[in-house]
Amino acid sequence: MIVAEQKSLEEIRRIIAPYEKVLLLGCGTCVTVCGAGGEREVAFLNSALRVAQAKSDDGVHNFSEYTVKRQCDFEFLDVLVDKVNEVDTILSLGCGIGVQVVAERFPDIPILPGVNTSFMGMAKEWGVWDERCAACGDCRLAETAGICPITRCTKGILNGPCAGTKNGKCEANKDMDCAWILIYKRLERLHQLEKMRRYYPPRNFRVIPRPRRIVMKADIEQGEDNG
Amino acid sequence: MDNEVTNYQNNRMREASHGRSLIPPCQVACPLHMEIGEYVDLVAQGKVLEALQVIREGNPFPSICAYVCTHPCEDACRRSQVDKSIAIRALKRFAVEFGGDRMIELEAETVQSEKVAVVGSGPAGLACAYYLRKLGYPVAIFEAYSELGGMLRVGIPQYRLPREVVDTEVQRLIHMGVEIKTNTRVISIDLLLDMGYKAVFITVGAHQSLRMGIEGEESPGVIDGATFLREVNLGLKPSLGEEVAVVGGGNVAMDAARAAVRLGADKVSILYRRSRTEMPASPDEIEQALEEGVETMFLVAPTKMKRENGRLSVTCVRMELGEPDAGGRRRPVPIEDSEHNMEFDTLITAIGQAPQISEDFRLRLGRGSTIQVDPVTLTTNRTGIFAGGDAVTGPATVTQALASGRQAAFRINDYLRHRYPSVDKEAEETLSGELLPKTIETIRKIERLEPPLLPPEARTKEFKPVELIYNWEAAVDEARRCLRCGMGAEIMFQDKCATCLTCLRICPYHVPYLDEGGTIQIPADQCQACGICVAECPAKAIVLRKPYDRRHIDEELEHALKSAAESKSKPLIIGFCCQYGLFGTGALASLWREGKAGIWIVPVLCVAKLEGGHILRAFEMGAEGVFVAGCGERCSRENTAFWVLQRVEEVRRALSQIGLEQERLQTFNLRAADGDITEALDNFTGRIGGLCLASVMKQEVKS
Ligand SMILES: Cc1cc2nc3c(=O)[nH]c(=O)nc-3n(C[C@H](O)[C@H](O)[C@H](O)COP(=O)(O)OP(=O)(O)OC[C@H]3O[C@@H](n4cnc5c(N)ncnc54)[C@H](O)[C@@H]3O)c2cc1C
Ligand code: SF4
Ligand code: SF4
Ligand code: SF4
Ligand code: SF4
Repeated sequence: MIVAEQKSLEEIRRIIAPYEKVLLLGCGTCVTVCGAGGEREVAFLNSALRVAQAKSDDGVHNFSEYTVKRQCDFEFLDVLVDKVNEVDTILSLGCGIGVQVVAERFPDIPILPGVNTSFMGMAKEWGVWDERCAACGDCRLAETAGICPITRCTKGILNGPCAGTKNGKCEANKDMDCAWILIYKRLERLHQLEKMRRYYPPRNFRVIPRPRRIVMKADIEQGEDNG
Repeated sequence: MDNEVTNYQNNRMREASHGRSLIPPCQVACPLHMEIGEYVDLVAQGKVLEALQVIREGNPFPSICAYVCTHPCEDACRRSQVDKSIAIRALKRFAVEFGGDRMIELEAETVQSEKVAVVGSGPAGLACAYYLRKLGYPVAIFEAYSELGGMLRVGIPQYRLPREVVDTEVQRLIHMGVEIKTNTRVISIDLLLDMGYKAVFITVGAHQSLRMGIEGEESPGVIDGATFLREVNLGLKPSLGEEVAVVGGGNVAMDAARAAVRLGADKVSILYRRSRTEMPASPDEIEQALEEGVETMFLVAPTKMKRENGRLSVTCVRMELGEPDAGGRRRPVPIEDSEHNMEFDTLITAIGQAPQISEDFRLRLGRGSTIQVDPVTLTTNRTGIFAGGDAVTGPATVTQALASGRQAAFRINDYLRHRYPSVDKEAEETLSGELLPKTIETIRKIERLEPPLLPPEARTKEFKPVELIYNWEAAVDEARRCLRCGMGAEIMFQDKCATCLTCLRICPYHVPYLDEGGTIQIPADQCQACGICVAECPAKAIVLRKPYDRRHIDEELEHALKSAAESKSKPLIIGFCCQYGLFGTGALASLWREGKAGIWIVPVLCVAKLEGGHILRAFEMGAEGVFVAGCGERCSRENTAFWVLQRVEEVRRALSQIGLEQERLQTFNLRAADGDITEALDNFTGRIGGLCLASVMKQEVKS
């Protein structure tokens, strides 16, 4: 799941400054789960912005709020058509994808990001999120015992551990587990230590064309005989 | 709010905000189905007037029940699965006394022409007359004795039910226009019909004492319990001699024994043929009788008696317990050759009563000479003649009699209006299911507080009421133990739930769970209604079942802000205080100083329900400082302080980003062990004053 973090109030206030009527737009999926931009956070932000406005005298805004089930598909945004006509900008609390989909759907209005989209990960416990996947496009978890060295090793090395590992922790951050020690232990447990003894050549991310696109549907030629 | 909050979820929330609380087991067990959860919660909030209002809606004579109800609700109370049930009856007594029930005046207007006769003025008859008057019928009560009340007057002794309480209710009925005909024994129903009564409610009780059927039962010095208590209650002071035996193990036996003690008997012994565990009398009654010096002899039964030398010689056999009988109690079996003699001055028999229905009534009778009725309509074999109370059930309880009187009034109304009986629609869902072990384990154990009793020495001299009343603090603390069954959280919109698992992870009682389909469920029979998940759900998908609970803080806050704006006192400080902790602690008086310091209290029903938005709203509307005051360790729920601090931190972070000092938001403990929060609060107000000054000066420098 995508994990994001709400931007600071200072930054949000700065970017909305030029606009009077602001729609705070939440997303009911990933950013709800990570507590960055669901209905609860939209309401809290709305209240906080009002306080800021009441306690200082720079700029008068008119806030409204709304949360759609998902921002990253056009169809969910249709309910916004009328509202969009009534505001000067939309501050989207969806992830970066959501912000862009909203922008694409409503070309005539400025869309601003309210969160920093941070990573793909999981809730370690209530209120704590950890990164797990870098979306590298070439998954190697079969060789690394289901533990991703690209995200969980500070250096992202494919042939670890490096010389900086100490008591199972990483030299870059003593509170952080060394991903390669985790991989070793898990492989040992699975009796697959031979996987450690191989060399994995570095990967050339530059060959991956960006932006990526995945086409799943078959390319059916017009006028082809349908059987 | 001036800005429109357009949110599709909010709109739908509004549409769907109908009450969905489930009926708790205490209410199901109450013969009158009183809204116990509701009034207990109101007592916990210190709102006695409102509590009394709820009580009066469900009970025509709450002051009577407050003294003598056998409280089946407490037997059903789910708190007993955790520790001990809520002291519901004693709390009702508190609400009735402190809410000023005796001051309430009732009026009724006659809007119907059909006259109704009520035969018998026990609780069933009185209740029926009460509701028939409310429905606008002319009603007359016929009572054989000189005073109204039935067993309330001639059965239950005064030390458990002061006569003034019955008098007050009778006066109210007279004020409502009920016609009273005392010293009038009805001997024929036909006569009543001839007099123009269109419907008759027969509620003559069960006054005929059962006989033991043994030799010598007619001897002088042997008296039956009902007669004895009637004489005592009518002030006749029957002479008992020094040693008194009471035969029986029910409440009438207890009352007879305790009355005998009060009449000055030296030694009062209860003879019961089974053991203490089988005694049908209520445990409290037995306990209090023992405290007053009543002795008990178990597993004995008299077989014959005779009057000799001015005393009673009673022959008894010893018993042992055999197989359980149909009622599940073990049957006593006489032990051979165990006969022995005992001597007493008086022997009171209290082994049960049965109704005595005149043959001239021409009513069909059933088991134990009770009147046969249709259980739904209370109609007898004769058209227009209804019956209820002990005369139908055999000896039962005051509350059952009240419920049957109320039912009769409504069915008589249906009959006279030629309507098909509009049977109470039990459409509402009830809460069923036991608490799970993991829930029980996590619920805070809190000792049940009993109301104080008169010390035994003081009791036995006279017939003064034994049970005293709670003080405020005790009543509030006892009421707070209620688990608020059926008023918990529910997921209002499953499609809004993002299945984030927040509720599952944070619930202090491990209530929410993921079902096999991957959907979050909050089982109503486990939820403790703490509201923590409601405030934390990032999708705002969870609501409390009771609409009042959903609106409460918003409404109180807007009210406080409005009053503050009108008073223009400065600086404005808003305090969100736990309503449960405000009473009985003296904290309220020290907090409520808006005139002086500009402090405005927003009562909340547990600070764990407070959301960041509420605090921010106070600042938005001009508050210079906000404090949150909960009950700390005295809270009846788990983890509340932790969640308050989480939310306070969340708001403080926002405040500092806005450029407001974090000290503007403080938390206090209303019931801290080390006394007064007044000082802490004064410091806080002082600091806020200082901060205001500083900000004014800053502006001066700026300009
Ligand atoms: C000693 C004792 C203690 C009790 N303690 C409790 C207790 O603590 N809690 C509790 O819940 N219950 C208690 N009960 C039971 C309770 O009092 C009865 O269940 C209840 O009073 C029954 O009400 P009722 O209206 O059916 O009849 P009753 O209260 O018996 O009233 C019947 C009335 O009808 C009158 N009557 C009879 N025949 C005629 C006639 N032909 N014409 C006119 N009037 C007539 C009688 O004089 C009497 O006043 C106790 C009972 C006794 C005897
Ligand atoms: S917009 Fe972003 S946060 Fe919302 S559902 Fe799509 S991916 Fe998740
Ligand atoms: S805990 Fe409260 S609501 Fe639940 S059964 Fe007991 S009195 Fe009723
Ligand atoms: S906290 Fe709310 S969104 Fe999360 S699982 Fe519970 S109900 Fe669903
Ligand atoms: S209201 Fe409290 S007890 Fe009920 S599910 Fe939510 S957190 Fe658990």
